Amino acid sequence: MKPFRARQGAIVARLDRAEAGIVGLLLDQLEQLLAADADDVAGDPVLDRLFPPGHRSDREMAEDYRELTEESLRGGKADDLATVRATLPADGGEVRLDLDQAGAWLRTSNDLRLALGTRLDITEDSEPPEEIADETDHQLAVYYWLTAVQGSLVDALVAGRAGRR
Amino acid sequence: MAGPLAPTWTPDTSVEEHGDLDRPWVTIVWNDPVNLMNYVTFVLQELFGYDEAKATELMLQVHHEGRAIVSSGPRERMEHDTSRLHAYGLWASYQKDS
Repeated sequence: MKPFRARQGAIVARLDRAEAGIVGLLLDQLEQLLAADADDVAGDPVLDRLFPPGHRSDREMAEDYRELTEESLRGGKADDLATVRATLPADGGEVRLDLDQAGAWLRTSNDLRLALGTRLDITEDSEPPEEIADETDHQLAVYYWLTAVQGSLVDALVAGRAGRR
Repeated sequence: MAGPLAPTWTPDTSVEEHGDLDRPWVTIVWNDPVNLMNYVTFVLQELFGYDEAKATELMLQVHHEGRAIVSSGPRERMEHDTSRLHAYGLWASYQKDS
């Protein structure tokens, strides 16, 4: 991977084939979760994290908030996901984004990290695995790889913003 | 203590209730172990137009104190701000200011 950076008004990175494949797989999983029948995934901790209650103590208000916002939040996530898919080189290669597309990558990569982080019980003390001995290590490695991708994307957007001033 | 000038009326509690209605609502961002510090700072700048110093200060408050108020105003606007933060995956909620 070549991390994201701002270049001539675009936000650019390079993914190798395996990395693009992993992102594609994670997008599939997120898409399936978002499209799943509500009854089948009720109480799923990842969905609870992606759509948290708007009010912490007043259940009625939290329910009102959900009715008011969840549909458009879901729509936004679906649009972002489609944008990432359309700009992801399936066999690896350059990712070249305009600012709107970069925003979609930013939000979607965060959702992927939230999903993985929730499943892996990430805490502030978690650390990257020292070796890959099992599936959990593998997922942890993917989580920290995505963290690096997203961190570079934020830095590139900040640099790009400074460049436009 | 009572004296000749002591008021004979008792405070009208409805004034206080009215004050309660006027008390603003707030949007709070809570600390979570996944969202990156530079990401939270970036999102606060994007959504609320804070400069980098202000956004960084709020991000650090979230990080160290567990929460920070990022906006205040009428309830409807706080609902809207909360949903904009949720669109970016920040752990946010709104409530009456305490």
